Amino acid sequence: MSHATRMLALAALLLFIALPLVQTVMLSFTATLPRDGVEPGQFTLRNYIHIFQSPALVASIGNSFLYVSLNVALCLAAGLPAAYAFSRYRFTGDRHLLFAMLAFRVTPPVVLSLPIFILFSKVGLVNSPVGIALVHCVFNLPVAIWILESFISAVPREFDETAFLDGQSLRGFFFTKLIPAIAPGIGVAAFFCFIFSWVEVVFARILTGTGGKPITMAINALFSFRTDTGLVMAMTVFSLLPGVLMIVFVRRHIARGFVIRT
Amino acid sequence: MSPQRNRAWFLVLPAVAVMGFVAVLPLLTVLNYSLHDIFTLESRYWIGLEWYEEIITSQRFWASLARSALFSAIVLSIQIPLGIAVALLLRSTRHPTLYLMALALPLVVPWNMIPGMWLSLVSPGGLLSGPLAAIGFDYKFTALHTWALIVTMDTWHWLGLVVILSYAGLSAIPRPYYQAAEIDGASRAAIFRHIELPKIAGALTIVLLLRFVDSFMIYTEAFRINAGGPQGATTFLSLDLGEEINGFSYGSAAARAMTYFLIVITVVWAFVQVTRRREASP
Repeated sequence: MSHATRMLALAALLLFIALPLVQTVMLSFTATLPRDGVEPGQFTLRNYIHIFQSPALVASIGNSFLYVSLNVALCLAAGLPAAYAFSRYRFTGDRHLLFAMLAFRVTPPVVLSLPIFILFSKVGLVNSPVGIALVHCVFNLPVAIWILESFISAVPREFDETAFLDGQSLRGFFFTKLIPAIAPGIGVAAFFCFIFSWVEVVFARILTGTGGKPITMAINALFSFRTDTGLVMAMTVFSLLPGVLMIVFVRRHIARGFVIRT
Repeated sequence: MSPQRNRAWFLVLPAVAVMGFVAVLPLLTVLNYSLHDIFTLESRYWIGLEWYEEIITSQRFWASLARSALFSAIVLSIQIPLGIAVALLLRSTRHPTLYLMALALPLVVPWNMIPGMWLSLVSPGGLLSGPLAAIGFDYKFTALHTWALIVTMDTWHWLGLVVILSYAGLSAIPRPYYQAAEIDGASRAAIFRHIELPKIAGALTIVLLLRFVDSFMIYTEAFRINAGGPQGATTFLSLDLGEEINGFSYGSAAARAMTYFLIVITVVWAFVQVTRRREASP
């Protein structure tokens, strides 16, 4: 392929990716309903000001951050030791356990939504960010284990053995040696847990009927007979920002996360 | 060979406990419900496999299943080749990371926002409505248009994942492989067929599985675009299921959920078997 064709193909690709995003940003700065003496179609900052004046919208941003951070912490805390075990040892049932993990990653959320709602309402986890953080582990924990496992397997076994010969305990080894050594892997795992949790809506909806609404549900609630599209798009821009920051943060390692043996 | 150590079970225990609570327990509950006729959750009657019988004899189920299968087939046959092509293209650019970052952007958009973005794009006054009108295409919510929009939207959303994973696989190919191919005078096609494709097979396995499952269970996006319409033309399995749950027919919904789960798991299982066998043979 000639250089010119390649550049043309890449330009077309970037245009395709950019179009909906550009449209969203444009609309977020446009008045879409006649209000406050601003005519529809005019440039305005009103949509963004409106977000900060609405306690429900601001709270929803906080709620999202809370459960997504909890989910990332939970997935890393439970995923790291498991990934280490899968990478370094053979034990009874390990292959089956890995397949079971895969099976739960591919279980559609709609399938589990009904019993999860009933189960969580019995133990008081409905309308709380903790509930959403827990339930997102269904698909995020397997992903975290896969990614961490591939990064740990890339570290030579002698690395562990030297540490143990120096008399280090498993716990000490984890915190002082292993975690620093696979820091990029932890970053990538956290990135994928973060975005899958941030964008998920099926569980987030059923678990937040009255309180603890995340940003996705707050946006849903803005839809009405006369939807203020500009406001919806301003909220959408907000909902994009943390993900964009995450992308910038892990950009160098993003393509390494999934080089996984099957 | 890794040492056999059953004490390693202690290390997986936290993960198993979490998954037991949020995945295994709910799944067993769904199975239990699917065998009952449920009026309220306190009064239910054992009816065995009656719900399943009703499902597999209903026209509606098979129609939704066919639509979901068709959708997955279309989406996979567009996104996988396109994603690999883009990944190969990125190999020869100077700043692949920048392109990867751009391609990752759609992945971080909340799922329920994506339909709104695309609808405003094609609606009157949207950025695409002008160019579309110029080529004589007027977006109406007909079955064909709705399908085209959902497929385009899904490709926009997920192409980045396919590219990222394929690119990761390609980056793992050592330089000497290419040098050897060059000495042998291998064609571009031969290099792809005999070096690149086998090397990204592992990453592609994951991509295929994830894209199959996520496209097969597409819910929010299809619901927002046209609520499964027009006249049920985009009513996928998941939309059918969502309707039953909203209608509080728990027993029937649970049986549908189980059927759905069994279909997905069977496909995944068959897929894993095929890849393992291929890996085992030289």
